[in-house]
Amino acid sequence: MEKTITQRSAWDKVLTKLQKRSLWMLHYCTGCGAVELPPTMTARFDMERFGIMPMVTPRQADILLITGYLSVKTLKRVVLIYEQMQSPKYVVGFGSCTINGGMYWNSYATIKSLDQYIPVEFYLAGCMPRPEAIIEGFTELIDRIGEGKANSWEDYYKNYEFYRKNQEHVFGTIDTRTDIPDDAKYFKIGEVEK
Amino acid sequence: MIADNYLAHTADPRVRKPEAATGSPRIEEEIIKAIQDATGNESFSLKAPRRIEGPVDSDRLHTLASLIWSRVGFQHLSAISCVDWLAEDEFELVYHFWSYRDFCLVSAKTRIPRETASMPTVSDLWQPALFFERDIHEMFGVVFEGNPDLEKYILSDWDGPPPMRKDFITREFAHDHFHFRDYEPDWDELVKGGYHSNRGEGGTDV
Repeated sequence: MEKTITQRSAWDKVLTKLQKRSLWMLHYCTGCGAVELPPTMTARFDMERFGIMPMVTPRQADILLITGYLSVKTLKRVVLIYEQMQSPKYVVGFGSCTINGGMYWNSYATIKSLDQYIPVEFYLAGCMPRPEAIIEGFTELIDRIGEGKANSWEDYYKNYEFYRKNQEHVFGTIDTRTDIPDDAKYFKIGEVEK
Repeated sequence: MIADNYLAHTADPRVRKPEAATGSPRIEEEIIKAIQDATGNESFSLKAPRRIEGPVDSDRLHTLASLIWSRVGFQHLSAISCVDWLAEDEFELVYHFWSYRDFCLVSAKTRIPRETASMPTVSDLWQPALFFERDIHEMFGVVFEGNPDLEKYILSDWDGPPPMRKDFITREFAHDHFHFRDYEPDWDELVKGGYHSNRGEGGTDV
């Protein structure tokens, strides 16, 4: 098997240890889930004690939090944002809308399963998840990063065609201006046909 | 009161005193009579205080709208709504006109056939109608003659039929178009120990 970046050397272990306590989060607040984030960020639950901070730009962010339903139109923006983010990156599906469509399960406009379009690190179940659940999820993520198991982002390079096909099925072809095969080469993850 | 502040800053001489706008049904009767005199339409009536409603033929609507706009002083087209009467094979368009002078809402209802659904635009009178008509065109497929821009508005990547029509079954469309997650009773076993990929060979095996 080809050597990937997650086959861990001693340096990688140091790196993940540093990385897991400095996570910057881009929250893409589409649905109602954003209302649970202010208590999570501010004094009562205080996300920053885990080293997680809100970030305003995709290129500096590590976590992409999708807080609610995604219509086809917003999914296009999410894909653009996701491809702009620097790897390693972690997508968190927040609430039942990202898992199976939630209460919009029979809507013509919203997607039903986020992990068909971008790889999702983990889902937070609930409608909506309480701040306790968000903290629980993030501590789990921190542990996984420390163990080198949080590697969902590699799946986008490995199965780019799968994701691309699903994306094109719902909104057609877009030019995201991101060279995924080139990025995959940089991370030494397989050969990707564009 | 908000209305008082609004009137205090309005230089329009047609604006009446707010006390005239509340209470007596005199103004409503005046408006109904004005509509009757100008268009010969006697079907407009008072449904509730300051709410006037009535049907109008689709080819007479633009005449009525220009009367309402110019003579009775309804400066605000509050909304155009569309109702799909599937059994009767008709669309019903409801035009809501609001007067800041009289504090009155006039709802003009008109019916058009579903198959050849087309209406003359009222965007020459009220510019916001451009967006209302574009939206109705997108959601119901009604063509507004004279509207210069009936391009896609909200559903920018949509290529299906107009989705708010009653004969469009959203559930079937969603099932054909989107991937639905299978119920996996042992999901917590699957996700243990790292990312679970079900994409075949390329998946990570941690």
